[in-house]
Amino acid sequence: MKSPIINPQSSILSVDFAGLRLANPVFTASGTCGYAEELADFMDVNRLGGFITKSITRRPRQGNPTPRIVETDAGMLNAIGLANVGLDRFVAEKLPVIAQMSVPVFVNVAGERIEDYVAVTERLAGEPAIAGFELNISCPNVAKGGISFGRDPEQVAGITAAVRRAAGRKVLMVKLSPCVTDISVIARAAVQAGADALSLINTFTAMVIDIETRTPALANRTGGLSGPAVKPIAVYLVNKVYNDVAKKAGIPLLGLGGIRTASDAIEFMLAGASAVAIGTASFSRPDSAVQIIDGIADYCARHQVARIADLVGSLR
Amino acid sequence: MTDHKSQGVFSAKVTSNRRIRACFWTMDLEFTGVGAQAYARFQPGQFVEVDVSNLGLPPEELIAPELRDAVRRNILLRRPFSFADVTVETNRTTAELLYCVLGPASVRLTTLSRGDSLSVLGPLGHGFRVPPGKRLALLVVGGMGAPPIQCLAKLLRTEYAGTHVIAFIGAKTAASLPFAGEFDGMPERIDSFIPAFAKYGIASAVTTDDGSAGRRGFVTERLAQWLDEQRDWLPEQTIIYACGPEPMLAATARLAVERNIDCQVSTERRMACGIGVCQSCAIECRVEGSDETAYRLCCQDGPVFDARTVVFDD
Ligand SMILES: Cc1cc2nc3c(=O)[nH]c(=O)nc-3n(C[C@H](O)[C@H](O)[C@H](O)COP(=O)(O)OP(=O)(O)OC[C@H]3O[C@@H](n4cnc5c(N)ncnc54)[C@H](O)[C@@H]3O)c2cc1C
Ligand SMILES: Cc1cc2nc3c(=O)[nH]c(=O)nc-3n(C[C@H](O)[C@H](O)[C@H](O)COP(=O)(O)O)c2cc1C
Ligand code: FES
Repeated sequence: MKSPIINPQSSILSVDFAGLRLANPVFTASGTCGYAEELADFMDVNRLGGFITKSITRRPRQGNPTPRIVETDAGMLNAIGLANVGLDRFVAEKLPVIAQMSVPVFVNVAGERIEDYVAVTERLAGEPAIAGFELNISCPNVAKGGISFGRDPEQVAGITAAVRRAAGRKVLMVKLSPCVTDISVIARAAVQAGADALSLINTFTAMVIDIETRTPALANRTGGLSGPAVKPIAVYLVNKVYNDVAKKAGIPLLGLGGIRTASDAIEFMLAGASAVAIGTASFSRPDSAVQIIDGIADYCARHQVARIADLVGSLR
Repeated sequence: MTDHKSQGVFSAKVTSNRRIRACFWTMDLEFTGVGAQAYARFQPGQFVEVDVSNLGLPPEELIAPELRDAVRRNILLRRPFSFADVTVETNRTTAELLYCVLGPASVRLTTLSRGDSLSVLGPLGHGFRVPPGKRLALLVVGGMGAPPIQCLAKLLRTEYAGTHVIAFIGAKTAASLPFAGEFDGMPERIDSFIPAFAKYGIASAVTTDDGSAGRRGFVTERLAQWLDEQRDWLPEQTIIYACGPEPMLAATARLAVERNIDCQVSTERRMACGIGVCQSCAIECRVEGSDETAYRLCCQDGPVFDARTVVFDD
């Protein structure tokens, strides 16, 4: 009898994330990889550790007027305004494609009221194609809902508990905003209300001004800053939430914000993230996530890391 | 589905890169292998996203003084460009990128020289379509809108030789016509003035806002006037193709709709991804069969749209 072929990369890189077995710790971030089908020509999405969809709302959303983005020195601002196809079309058109994927898929859920979040989650909780939900309580670009939920610990607890009930046995991850006084207070509220995992960070509210016209560069006036500019702050916040909340509670963190390379990803893991997500970097290199997975494998080989999970929170 | 990749990130070789005049440059790129196959199917009006994030700035004295401040910023995102010409050969496909230096990314493109490589994502979006039964094609160019229209001109000449083509070309001044040559004081008549079109046997009508070349006024006024002067002319056998600043596209669309002429416009939006994942390039469009409008994506559903589809703000 032949012995089974073991892919050495797979055993070193695989991680346990809130009860899910991931082949590696690299996700794509919400809003930067659409609904996966768009990426088919550029990357084998089945090599990812996990996939996170664009935010889904109960009804379709057209989003904000343009310009919706502007580049900054080491990042970009976006004010997309949660443009998405809405729950019904997501189920009819996107879900069948997602069901073909072999990696765990999280649906990012957004809304204006708690009922909206609950409605989307309830409708999708029975779908076998979906591994879990990422609760977006941190979008800076919408007039109602979004970040306003994510700033007040009581509201965070309320919405997390309500969605927890609707999510059934699916994994519930809550996505935190960096635009708060003490992120650990918000993290604790989400964990106590039943979050299985936390993701951080969403974008920073920011502004770019066109000095020729003396107007904001974005139609929405403000937008969310992402990209390399935010990375050191994101690493700090991951480390803070890890030390203050996640480590004791045994809750995994998904770290994101400005990751472009495997080294960036490893920084997040040393700071306490069990997995990472790649956002803005995918725009210039659509296969960034896969390149980062390979880079992490190289790092493990170089440093004789037996299991990538051993790195998590191992900051000296 | 074919086994070939229809789009991807390909490394193109620069075979030449030179200044035409003023802020206008032209770069020749060569694709080989899978890239050559992908670009062999390039449609005029499609575009690419180039990555210049690893390029440095040219020496300060080569940067226009008014840009020195603005270009200092680092580049993160790719930039969209169309191709002005695509030539398919046995084992390679070559493409001409005609560009205007106006900011941090385009100024970096000028540092490339023969033998360098450039990461090119594409081909992207939907280009111009040539419906059957068109005998007359009117090309409308506003300033830097020239490249995709030049590419289309070649297609019309090579594959639709029976179609009569005229180019209406507008710019602010003679100096801002994005072509090689001297255009100051160019006459008003329609003639083979612009080599980029003349080489396909296409005559041009030129207008400038200040009258420094061709007729003074807007290119759309010239087009409207020309249409009004035609006798024995069938709108249903005519098509208008336009690329340029949005007010020009809006005026072109309006006059085409009023006269019942088919019209396709190539639009532009700021783009972060070019492949339909970021939703940054929204463009307001009419929903067929209703009074409603909806955003569509310039990068994926466009950049070329039917003129009746796009909602222009006036
Ligand atoms: C589908 C498409 C095809 C294009 N084809 C060409 C082409 O063939 N040749 C060419 O020279 N340019 C083309 N452009 C425009 C080109 O993308 C921009 O000139 C380029 O991104 C400028 O980058 P930059 O960093 O040098 O300047 P930036 O700092 O990005 O811009 C400098 C100035 O130009 C304006 N600007 C930037 N991008 C655009 C845009 N898309 N539309 C209108 N104004 C803009 C900015 O607001 C700013 O005032 C195309 C754009 C699109 C969307
Ligand atoms: C264009 C764009 C759209 C985004 N859309 C969403 C979204 O719909 N929902 C969400 O939770 N986060 C969204 N984000 C935030 C990202 O998921 C991520 O949290 C943030 O960009 C930081 O990571 P990065 O620096 O790697 O991009 C978006 C970011 C960008 C740049
Ligand atoms: S540029 Fe990203 S969706 Fe069009």
